[in-house]
Amino acid sequence: MNMTFDKILDNDTLWAVRYDNAADNALQTLFSQWNDPEWLVDFFLANMADLESYFKITDINQAIYDTIDDNQRIQCLILDLSPDADLDKIFRPLENSRTSEMLLGKEKAKIKDRPKHASWLRIYAIKLEPGCYIITGGAIKLTRTMQEREHTIKELDKMEQVRNYLINNQAIDADGFVVFLSELQ
Amino acid sequence: MKKKTKEFLEAHKSDTPSKWREEAEWRRENWSWLRHSQKIAVKVLLQMKKEGLTQKVLAERMNCTQQYVSKILKGKENMSLDTLSRLEDALGISLIYDELVSYPTMVAEEVFP
Repeated sequence: MNMTFDKILDNDTLWAVRYDNAADNALQTLFSQWNDPEWLVDFFLANMADLESYFKITDINQAIYDTIDDNQRIQCLILDLSPDADLDKIFRPLENSRTSEMLLGKEKAKIKDRPKHASWLRIYAIKLEPGCYIITGGAIKLTRTMQEREHTIKELDKMEQVRNYLINNQAIDADGFVVFLSELQ
Repeated sequence: MKKKTKEFLEAHKSDTPSKWREEAEWRRENWSWLRHSQKIAVKVLLQMKKEGLTQKVLAERMNCTQQYVSKILKGKENMSLDTLSRLEDALGISLIYDELVSYPTMVAEEVFP
């Protein structure tokens, strides 16, 4: 897979992948989909069973309205990030069990403290180094694990592909990471 | 950010600028009406699916073009009350209120006997 990179924040801490000469990057694609009523209706109609079984929500209208509102909150949060914002407080390791640093770790971001139900919107990223991330994609996650549905498996694959691309092209200082780890211990 | 990583990303940057910020700012500036437009589009789409209604048939019922219906369904149309009323009549559902409000027929003779 071919990929290029877009700077999201001017201070170089947040980037997004643009896949295979796509018209725009992964973040813009997410915002477009999560703002598109036709895309949302099709998605929730296809995944209604997951919404009911995992979130116990049966009102598809309300589920889509909540998605639109949550997406707006995420957009505003990213628009308003100050140059000294600590992105390590926004992104968390993808695996809840992972507590240690790893080279080009897979990470996720989601809205916290949402009323009524947890937010199902996820933004996925690779951690380039402390405080610096590259967005690979995102999903509406309606199941407990990402391995359960095709659209979330696709996001796992994208993270893996971006990680491999960065490693194979020696985009990061792996030796520096080893030094960084030793300093942590 | 480390110099090596920054140089790599800059060397592999996209040819054209992203529109994410421009579009996100537009959505924020217009959020007060846009959220209503998006949610109305959702209601209309779900009703169309339920009835198996095409955009063409909805356009005929509303006496407007299919292109205009397509714009409404994208949730970016700042609709007038007239358009909303025509949508409600065409679909037989309420879009402005939670329940369909029925108004008495205004016949002059009844109001002013």
